[in-house]
Amino acid sequence: MKKPSWISVAGLIVGWCMVVFNARAGDQCATCHGTLGDKPSSLFRKDIHHLKGVTCSGCHGGDATSDEMERAMDPKAGFIGVPKGDAVSVACATCHSNADKMKAWHSHLPTGQLELLQASVHGKLSTTGKEHIAQCTTCHGAHGIVSVKNPASPVYPLNVVATCAGCHSNAVYMRSYNPSLSVDQQEKYRTSIHGMRNAKGDAKAAACASCHGSHGILSSTDVKSAVYPAKLPGTCSKCHSDAEYMKGYGIPTDQYDKFAKSVHGIALLQKKDLGAPACNKCHGNHGATPPGVESVSKVCGTCHALNADLFSASPHKKAFDERKLPECETCHGNHEIVTATNTLIGVTPEAVCSKCHSEGEFPEGYRVAATMRGLIDSLETNEARAKSLVGDAEQKGMEVGEAKFKLRDVHQARLEARTMVHSFNEGKFRDVVGKGLAVAVLVGQEGQRAIDEYVFRRIGLGIATLIITVVAIALWLFIRRLERQQQLERTTT
Amino acid sequence: MSTLWKKTYDWIDERVHLGDLVEFMGKKYVPVHRGSVWYYFGGVSLFLFIIQVLTGILLLLYYKGSEGLAFESIQFIMSKVAFGWLVRSIHSWSANLFILAAVVHMFSVFFEKSYRSPREITWLTGMLMLFLGLGFGFSGYLLPWNELAFFATKVGTDIAGVVPIVGKPIMVFLRGGEDVTGATLTRFYGFHVAVLPGIFTVLLGIHLLLVQRQGMSEPLDVEKAGAAERKTMPFFPNFLLRDLLFWLLILNLLAILAVFFPWELGKKADAFASAPAGIQPEWYFLFMFETLKLFPAKVWFLDGEVLGVMLFGVAAILWLLVPFWDRKSARGEKNRAINYVGLAAVLYIIIFSILGWFM
Repeated sequence: MKKPSWISVAGLIVGWCMVVFNARAGDQCATCHGTLGDKPSSLFRKDIHHLKGVTCSGCHGGDATSDEMERAMDPKAGFIGVPKGDAVSVACATCHSNADKMKAWHSHLPTGQLELLQASVHGKLSTTGKEHIAQCTTCHGAHGIVSVKNPASPVYPLNVVATCAGCHSNAVYMRSYNPSLSVDQQEKYRTSIHGMRNAKGDAKAAACASCHGSHGILSSTDVKSAVYPAKLPGTCSKCHSDAEYMKGYGIPTDQYDKFAKSVHGIALLQKKDLGAPACNKCHGNHGATPPGVESVSKVCGTCHALNADLFSASPHKKAFDERKLPECETCHGNHEIVTATNTLIGVTPEAVCSKCHSEGEFPEGYRVAATMRGLIDSLETNEARAKSLVGDAEQKGMEVGEAKFKLRDVHQARLEARTMVHSFNEGKFRDVVGKGLAVAVLVGQEGQRAIDEYVFRRIGLGIATLIITVVAIALWLFIRRLERQQQLERTTT
Repeated sequence: MSTLWKKTYDWIDERVHLGDLVEFMGKKYVPVHRGSVWYYFGGVSLFLFIIQVLTGILLLLYYKGSEGLAFESIQFIMSKVAFGWLVRSIHSWSANLFILAAVVHMFSVFFEKSYRSPREITWLTGMLMLFLGLGFGFSGYLLPWNELAFFATKVGTDIAGVVPIVGKPIMVFLRGGEDVTGATLTRFYGFHVAVLPGIFTVLLGIHLLLVQRQGMSEPLDVEKAGAAERKTMPFFPNFLLRDLLFWLLILNLLAILAVFFPWELGKKADAFASAPAGIQPEWYFLFMFETLKLFPAKVWFLDGEVLGVMLFGVAAILWLLVPFWDRKSARGEKNRAINYVGLAAVLYIIIFSILGWFM
């Protein structure tokens, strides 16, 4: 290969110098303001836009190539001064919403930020009527904007919480927009696992934007929001079901799959029952942390209050506490809580009671568990029988409205019995089941009576129809005989 | 036994002169011709009306005509009262068969032109009884206070309300307010068991008296035939026994319907619930309901529904007054146009009822 001549090397150096000189010469604003030493111009030196070659006039307008102040800041040259209110975001969007311009700056950023912002809660709410809550600069800053991946960025995961809290922890400010919204999110967040890891410098731990999104943040009551109850499990699972992402944290990644199969998951995700708990109902949202052994019953008890109260007053409370067993979770599990069936109680291998109770160990509990199972099975069998008889009678067209109404009492008794299980008190359980059994037997009898009545009606109809038909035939024969006689009388006369 | 019977007869005869009545009955004859079978529908209607009255009285023993108790009382009758289910089912089925028998009777009279002079009043009282029968059906339908009846009454009274000028006051009067409420039930109960039966009984009395006084009408061609060609049968006992035979067959039919198709009760009415799907009135109102559904929203400057209701009103009045505008039949001349009008009406009612049932 031939060596490059000195002339070609000198040419390259001169060319590079000209490019740099021209670039600097193109932003006379920065040159002058830089000599003044003002804050915006000094911040702008590190700004990603400046580094990419965007001049001050990119946002403020004017002629950045002129070193004459009047000419550079001449409104005729498009100078707009400092953009105010919504004009700030519009100014950013002249490039950031223009895919061609962004491509020219070799940027791969998405271009829908302004649209998302305008549709977001920050872009919709306004108290002055002149401008909306948040502009691009509210979170990204103005002259010192750096990439979101840059630790110096206010929206970098480790900084974004403080950035959001700038407004969201300010009670006076928040009151003017949403007085009912709490302002302790940051405080709670710092007590959460996510917050503690974030504080230790773990940028992977969830921060505000991880769940709420960034530009298109919506109210949690908005069905499109990532934190809307029915969508929340999906949002959490973006990280928590990603085995690669969660590597190193030492926790399982099958919570979502289990939850989706659980009674809570089916109610929330399939039936869209917003009363069913999402992840945050048990773990908290901003203060998300796994409930400890001592607090799990309180967590479940927020909805299942009666069960929790009965359990707390039961002999199991002390026994569980001593063995450091999580109260509800020991029998019902956590994420994959399925509909409780009778098989949960009793002394069969699949019954949870048999985990601790056996004929040898804790025999009294073993006996009570077996009795309870027998009682509730009996109630269920009687309820099924009564339901079948009433259904059969109804199918036959019999009026069984009252019996059907009473069936609700049996169902209610069965539900109450399932709750009463948590007292682990045989006497109380027997009382509740007894009430249900009495009604179930009564309804069964009513159903059977209705079926018997149906048969009686058929037989009765058969007999009545037969009698009426015989009378009708007899009458017909009588009429014929009568008319024949009359005919005979007429012919003889 | 025969001595006892004779003694009883003589005892009554001594006081009310039964002999005159027996003599009158003995001289009464019923014409016999190809259309004689239609005569029986008058008797069948009467029989069904009697069943209505008897079963209605039995239902009154347990029925409670108030918003809070009506549904429950019917439920009680159906499930707890001995043979209550049978009484209610027969009451409901005989109500429907009564309308059917009365309609058949009316059309047979129409096609035979039996309304012609001198039987105009018999026709008028019969038609008014038919209208009252529809009123019985409409008011009785609400009494169980179930979901279907509640909304059907709402729609029915809404339709009455569209009549210009008088419609709204009529609707408010029927409902006992702006909406169908417990007040409507109380009113309908009153209409059903007191007002309508009272008027009906008077009309029925006049109707039967006139039939007895004027005898059965004969078709025009039979009337014109010579005395030798005209056949008759004694009213007593021949016609009465045949009537009785028909009644027995109807009784059998009623028993079968009541047992195999017991009248359902449905769900209790709830004013706050949305109207159930496929809501429709009783079958005898279906042709009108279907016609109103198919009417365009606007016809010229008139509201389609208003026009429809008004047309039905005009048609009913014309039908009622047929003895007065069918002059040809009154003169004893054949009037084919009446037959065509009647045939068109029958076809229209059948087709639109079928459409209403399936659409």
